[in-house]
Amino acid sequence: MRTLLLTAAIALAATGAHAQTEIRVHYAIPTIWADTQEALAEAFMAANPDIEVVFDGPAESYAEGVQRLLRESVAGTLPDVAYLGLNRWRILEARGLTQPLDPFIGDASAFAAAGFTPALRSLGQYRGQQHALATSASSLVMYVNPELVERAGGSMEDFPTTFDGVIELAARIDALGDTVDGIWVDRHDWRFQSLLGSHGGRPMTPDESDIAFDDEAGIAAATLYRRFADEAGMKSYIDDQARQAFPAGTLGIMLESSSLLTRFTQAAGDRFDVTVKPLPVAAEDPGAVYFPTGGSAIVMLTDDPDKQQAVWEYVQFVTGPEGAQIVVENTGYAPTNALVLEDEAYLGAFYADNPNALVAHTQVARYAGPWYAYPGAEGVAVTDLIAAALVEVTEGADPEATIGDLADTLRSRLGMN
Amino acid sequence: MRPLLTRAWRETVTDMWLAGPATLAMLVLIFIPVGIVAILSVTDYQFGARSFRWVGVDNYVTLFTDPIGRRALVNTLIYVAVVIPFSMGLALAVALGLHRLAAWWPWLSSLLRAAYFLPVAATLVAMAIAWQMLLHPNIGLVNSTLAAIGLPGRDWLSDRGLVLYTLAAIGIWQTVGYNMVLFLAGLSAIPQHLYDAAAVDGADRGWDRFWTVTWPMLGPTTLFVAVITATNAFQVFETVATLTRGGPAFASDTLVYALYREGFVYFKAGYASAITMVFFVVVVVLTLLQFRVLERRVHYR
Repeated sequence: MRTLLLTAAIALAATGAHAQTEIRVHYAIPTIWADTQEALAEAFMAANPDIEVVFDGPAESYAEGVQRLLRESVAGTLPDVAYLGLNRWRILEARGLTQPLDPFIGDASAFAAAGFTPALRSLGQYRGQQHALATSASSLVMYVNPELVERAGGSMEDFPTTFDGVIELAARIDALGDTVDGIWVDRHDWRFQSLLGSHGGRPMTPDESDIAFDDEAGIAAATLYRRFADEAGMKSYIDDQARQAFPAGTLGIMLESSSLLTRFTQAAGDRFDVTVKPLPVAAEDPGAVYFPTGGSAIVMLTDDPDKQQAVWEYVQFVTGPEGAQIVVENTGYAPTNALVLEDEAYLGAFYADNPNALVAHTQVARYAGPWYAYPGAEGVAVTDLIAAALVEVTEGADPEATIGDLADTLRSRLGMN
Repeated sequence: MRPLLTRAWRETVTDMWLAGPATLAMLVLIFIPVGIVAILSVTDYQFGARSFRWVGVDNYVTLFTDPIGRRALVNTLIYVAVVIPFSMGLALAVALGLHRLAAWWPWLSSLLRAAYFLPVAATLVAMAIAWQMLLHPNIGLVNSTLAAIGLPGRDWLSDRGLVLYTLAAIGIWQTVGYNMVLFLAGLSAIPQHLYDAAAVDGADRGWDRFWTVTWPMLGPTTLFVAVITATNAFQVFETVATLTRGGPAFASDTLVYALYREGFVYFKAGYASAITMVFFVVVVVLTLLQFRVLERRVHYR
C-alpha cells in the first residue's frame, strides 16, 4: 500500500514538472488594452503551449497600476510581468523590483537585428542596464482641423513646417471668431520636454547630475508657450476641455499625443477630417532633435528562474514583430519594433488605410527618445512644478527668468546642489 | 442552585459581549492605523520603499511653510468659508419656502424637495463631468447663455483667481439639498402653539414670527448643520480630482487632494501621513463639537 502511494506521488510530481508554467500578467487601461491583451495572450499561447498567461484584473490607469504594484510588493504578491507607463517603470526600478533583462538579451547586435534598435532600447534603459522594453509608443504631434485652416486662408498642402509659420496661421484661425481658438498645447512636463527636444535641448545632463533645460533651447521652448498665448490667443484650457473643443471643431491646431488619434477621429465624426502633421523641428542640427516617447513598457518582476524563462519568452513575443503588429492594429499606438516598419508585409495595408497613423509613427521612428523621469523621491513632484511654471509663462511671466528660477528650484528639490 | 458568577460579574460579561466586538473593530480598523500613520508622519517613507529615515517634525514644518503646502491649507479654509454661509443660508431659505408651500400646495412642495435633494443622491463624480461640459469656455452652456445676454464669458475652471470659487459654487449646489432636509425636519418639529403664543403677543407677521420663534427654535439644528457642512467642506476631493486636479498651478489644491497627490501620485507616504494627521485633528475637533451640539439639542424645551 505504501509503495503504491509513493508511486502515485512520484507520478503526480512528474506530471507537475511537465505541466504548464503559469505567468501572471498585470496591465492597465482596459478601455484601450483589454482586447489587445487577449489577442496577444492568445497568439502567444498558440505559439508556446507550455506557458499559460493569466491576467490580473486590469488597473484603470498607469498611475493606479503602479500604486497597486507597490502595494503588492509590500504584501509579497507581485505578478510575474507587468505593463507600465514608459515614464513610470523607473519608480519600480528605484525600489529594486524590476529584473534586469541584459542576461536574457545576450548578444546586443543579434538583438538589434531582431528589430530592437538602440533608440528603442534607450526607452527602457537606466545606467546602462535594460530594465524595460517598450511595447507601444506615442509622441507629440499636431492635430489640425483642415476646415478652419481653409477658412483662415491657409493651405493643408502647404502647411507650415516651422513654429513661426504655425503661430502665424494659428493667429489667423483665432481671429475667425470669439468661439474659435487657434492653437493649444498642455502646460505639462511631457509637452515641454517635446518642445525642448525640438530645439535640440535636454531636460538633464546624461548622467542626471544636473538640470540642463535652463539653456537657449529651454528658454526657446518656454517662449513658444508665451507666443502661443500672446500672438495666437491660446486659452488656458485644462486638458479635458481642449480634448472636447478640438473634436467639436472650435480649435484649429492642437499639439497632443499621437495616441489620441483614434479618439479624436471618432469624436469628430463627420464634422471634419482630423489631420495629423509632424511637430516642427526647430534645431538647426536635426541630429540633436528627439521627441520623448509616451506609451507603455513591459518589465519582468518575478525572481523565480523557471518563471523568468517563461516571462522572457512572453516579453520577446509581445515586443517582437508579431506582437507589435497586434498592438498597432488594435490600439493605434506606434510600433516599438523596427522590423514591422521595415517590412511592409506586417503593416503596409494598415498604413494605406490610416495615413494619419503613418505620419505619427514615422515621427516616432525617426525621433524616438526617452521620456526623462527626474531622479529621487521628489522626481514626480517636480513635474507639477514645471507645469506650474509654464502656467506662469502663458499668463505673462518672462520665459527666461521663469525657466532660470524653475531650474534652480528643481536643483534644490532634487538634491543636485 | 447558586449561580456560578455573581450578578455584577454576569453583567460585566454581558457588557463585554455587547460592546467588545465593536470596540475591537474600532481599535483594529481606526486607532491602530491612525497610530501607524502618526509614526509614518515623522519619517521620509516612500510608498513601496524598503527603508526610511526619521525626520522628526520636518513634514509638518514643510506643510505649514512650503508655498504649495500653505496654498492647500489656505485654499481649504477659503473653500470652507465660502461654502458654509452660502450653503446654509440657501438651504434655510429653500426650507422655509417649501415648508410654507407644503401647507397649500403639497405635491409641488414634495416635487421641489426631491429636485433639491437630487444632487445629494447623485454620484458627485458623474455630476462633475456634467459641470465640466456646462462650464466649457467655448462650447459650454454657461458661457453660451452669458454671451446670448451680452455678458462676457469666463474661464471658470482654468482662471487661477476664479477656479476655487467655481468649485465652491459646485460644493454649495451639492450640499444645499442635504441641509434643506435637516432644516425642514427642524421646522416641522416647532410646535404650532409657540406661533399661536407669539401671535397673542403681537408677533403675527413674517419677520417677527421668524425672529421670535422660528430662528431661536432652529438654533440647535443650525449649529448641527454648520458642523456637518464644515466637516463635508473640509473633505472636498471629488470635484477637485475630476475637474481640475488641483490646478492650474495649484490654484485649486486642497488639503485632501494634496494628501492624495503627495501619497499616491508622488509616493511620498511620510509627507502624506503628516497631511493626514492634520486633517484627522480637524475632523476630531469637528466631531467633538458635533457631540456637544447633540447633547445640548433640547436646550429650549
